[in-house]
Amino acid sequence: MSAEAAASRPPVSCRILLDSFEGPLDLLLYLIRRDELDITEIPVSHVADQYLKYIRDAKNLNINVASEYLVMAATLTSIKSRSLLPTHRYGDEDPEDPVAELRRQLILYRAFREIARELQQSEDTWRDIYISRGERERWSDDRMEVEPGQATLLDLLRALESLSEESDETLPGQTIQRRQLTITECIDSLERAILPGRSVSFRTVLGRNPSRNLVISYFVTLLELMKRGWIACRQAYPFAEITLERTERWTLDS
Amino acid sequence: MILDRLSREIEALVFASDSPLTISELCELTGSGEDSVEQALQRIEVSFSEQQHALNIVEVAGGYRLATEEEFGPVLSQLFEGQKPGKLSRAALETLAVVAYSQPCTRTAIDSVRGVNCDSAIRTLLERDMIRISGRRETPGRPLLYSTTSVFLEYFGLADIDHLPRVEEITELLGMSSSELEERDLFGGAPQEPDPGE
Repeated sequence: MSAEAAASRPPVSCRILLDSFEGPLDLLLYLIRRDELDITEIPVSHVADQYLKYIRDAKNLNINVASEYLVMAATLTSIKSRSLLPTHRYGDEDPEDPVAELRRQLILYRAFREIARELQQSEDTWRDIYISRGERERWSDDRMEVEPGQATLLDLLRALESLSEESDETLPGQTIQRRQLTITECIDSLERAILPGRSVSFRTVLGRNPSRNLVISYFVTLLELMKRGWIACRQAYPFAEITLERTERWTLDS
Repeated sequence: MILDRLSREIEALVFASDSPLTISELCELTGSGEDSVEQALQRIEVSFSEQQHALNIVEVAGGYRLATEEEFGPVLSQLFEGQKPGKLSRAALETLAVVAYSQPCTRTAIDSVRGVNCDSAIRTLLERDMIRISGRRETPGRPLLYSTTSVFLEYFGLADIDHLPRVEEITELLGMSSSELEERDLFGGAPQEPDPGE
């Protein structure tokens, strides 16, 4: 690879480094083993530094992945800062030990990680073993009766999927057109409704049984006309009838 | 070795059955006692291996099945090319391990053991029938509970759920932590000795 190509290559992001880990606990266990530390007596300050260094190299962290790693970073920082401060013990009260909790989490996770490895070995073996399935296909009714409440959501989705695979017909469709009412159209009709020198109520302008869409369109139009100073609106008290009147500017501007 | 009548009956039953047959089912179907069924199963096993057959009788997912020997995997896989689902990811295997040992368990419990969000792993395992939704926990929010299935046992060649690797060790580990947690919850951080006077 030429020097130019190497320079233009993006720096190795921590995302790639983190991709080989199954989360913050996995990364911590890796760091502990790498530095040959004893899991039962973790020097938190050292581990926290190593962990934060690893995370700091991460420039392009996926936010979903990052959040989990960052929570651990915060926990470690908190434990470290606490260990630097003098501790006061009040009576024989035993405060919750975050290090013990972390240790418990690590030991538990490590156990399951080992189990997962053992399962993987069984998977490798048993993928190569083929088991006779018996005579279900021939003699049994595969459409087994399902008791109410036994079918899961997944069963229903599978049933739907097999159904849509079977039928080639597409579902009948219908196109619904949305009727659009523009402010310009509203202004035009208001021009006819509000005659010069007369006052009209908003209710009259809307007519009988107006749709919600219509009311909103006309109301927005009113606001627009008021902004332009083309109409004057009066309302005696909240929710009372609105009376509309033309101003002289309407005729002058338009 | 020439097989006796009972052994051959059992062999035929296991061959034709669509689900694994348990010892007690075999007793009922053949009208024999448990001891003689177990001995007959052993004789079948010996007979298969003595005559170098590609098959043998195995205990898996709670009962007996006829299965091919591992070494014929490559030749057999040609029959199912492109149909066999891929191997499970590490995330899926870890999630499955947690469910297997602490079932029925909630998603939150799995997340907290693994220290990461396990949503997509759970979805994969549900789709592959390795786990199922087995109910809801009667706590606020009524979270879903997950358990493993017989597909899981068969996939990993496990006789039953008690035959998981190091089951006692892990159960002890889980029990320890949960009692610790419980005490912490109940007594606000100070584990207390149980009062012997009670």
